[in-house]
Amino acid sequence: MVAKPARYRLGPGTIPAQAGIGLRAPHYLEVLETRPPVGWLEAHSENYFGAGGKPLYYLERIRAHYPLSLHGIGLSIGSTDALNSRHLDRLKTLIRRFEPVLVSEHLSWSSVGGRYLNDLLPLPYTEEALAHMVRRVSQVQDYLERQILIENVSSYLQYTESTLPEWEFIAALTERSGCGLLLDVNNIYVSACNHGFDPGVYLQAIPAAAVREIHLAGFTVNRFGQREILIDTHNQRVYPQVWALYRQAVRRFGPIPTLIEWDTDLPALEVLVDEARRADAIVGEERHGAAA
Amino acid sequence: MARLRELQADFAQAVLDGVDTAFGHCIRASGLGGGRRLQVYRNNVFLSLTEALKAVYPVTQRLVGEDFFRYAAARYIPLHPSTSGNLHDFGGSLPEFLATFEPAAALTYLPDVARLEWAYHQVFHAAHHPPLDLAALAVAPAERHGELTFTLHPAARLLVSAFPILRIWQVNQADFVGDPTVDLTEGGIRLLLIRRENLEIELQPLPAGEFALLQALAEQQDFATACERALAVQPDTDLPALFSKHVQQGALVDFSR
Repeated sequence: MVAKPARYRLGPGTIPAQAGIGLRAPHYLEVLETRPPVGWLEAHSENYFGAGGKPLYYLERIRAHYPLSLHGIGLSIGSTDALNSRHLDRLKTLIRRFEPVLVSEHLSWSSVGGRYLNDLLPLPYTEEALAHMVRRVSQVQDYLERQILIENVSSYLQYTESTLPEWEFIAALTERSGCGLLLDVNNIYVSACNHGFDPGVYLQAIPAAAVREIHLAGFTVNRFGQREILIDTHNQRVYPQVWALYRQAVRRFGPIPTLIEWDTDLPALEVLVDEARRADAIVGEERHGAAA
Repeated sequence: MARLRELQADFAQAVLDGVDTAFGHCIRASGLGGGRRLQVYRNNVFLSLTEALKAVYPVTQRLVGEDFFRYAAARYIPLHPSTSGNLHDFGGSLPEFLATFEPAAALTYLPDVARLEWAYHQVFHAAHHPPLDLAALAVAPAERHGELTFTLHPAARLLVSAFPILRIWQVNQADFVGDPTVDLTEGGIRLLLIRRENLEIELQPLPAGEFALLQALAEQQDFATACERALAVQPDTDLPALFSKHVQQGALVDFSR
């Protein structure tokens, strides 16, 4: 008998169902001075784990003007090592200080035996891994005393031992741990191409009530002979195929806070704002279409 | 969890150590072979850890060139793996690694330049601290001042090198203008790195006496011992002036009896 998961609340305040952008250090000053017209900002939690200095200085000032989401990339929640208590402590301190509306981590692991690969490595989709993830997400939610969102990652391999499709694994994780979902539509597209599944089937299987946030980003195509593999590089504009999949997601889940992620080859701030505007336009069109 | 643990250990070994254990058989080969798919992860892992090192060590990278730096990083990463989910914690042992890295042996100054960059990185992220409480210090009886110990600001570091690492660092900044020649025979330097209230980081070259004073205080020696050490290396050190300078500029932030 599985215990009923504790239902934790999100942080104070709300994030509008309007597109936001990732906050990156080269844009700090411009964001503060020009206050671009985006609904909210998302920061990588670990970039603010330092004790002081410029990152925290700017985040504090910028936070005063925008709703905030904290997105973790290093907790290694799916690892079989014990949870890193120092990392969790730093995250909790950051959450107390900045009161983010959303806090998210990844459906992945990045360390074992104390060694960190600092990458979002895939889990096998087995009952064993599912039970492990449910336990770990619950531990983190208990420690942080709030709900966290779990994001699907791009993957470049599948394990022979997997017995569940990723979407079933995610749906079960949500149900059993009480976590929310950060649905990365680009990652769904990338993995669908890399592994040959239908991204529409993925979207249909996701429990709509759990989806709290959507990510969009650009990928890179690598070629190995006749074969292509898509890599989640966050280094360019969102691809047309991913915009189309986003439209499907909006139809299925309604307007959800959507984030434009860009990490490598960071462009001018206005390019991110423009991408956010495109996401808002799709939400607007779908809403209008639904009303008509 | 036994199987999951085994899988993760094999994955990490295959990626970090290049050891292809039973892991290859765990990957479904659809279109692309398991080896190719694993290579994608190996590339991503080494790329992002190398990028993290480049962010902390831009001058070191500039001195050796990008290709050499990537080569050194590829050797460094499996030997000194990351132990934190925060990439800002990664790379503190690169200076020691470079000191023993044979292909870089001719660049004798390189480890010290890397030490300067790691110190800069630490100062950048260090905690804030209010200035020293002068009123409390004034209450301490003058005849007991020699017994006091002081604390260096969390965002301050002392660094000594037999090479002109400040000059090397300066001429390799992206915005440097002027003659980039460095005379390696110009000799060593003693440095104080300190982050100011405006969050800018200053690199102050210090005379021997002043450096010895701060170094001794940073090692928790009492004030009398610190003064003796300063005078021993530089008899004309103006101790009262230096003490008040570093209290005012915020390098010394706390004292205790």
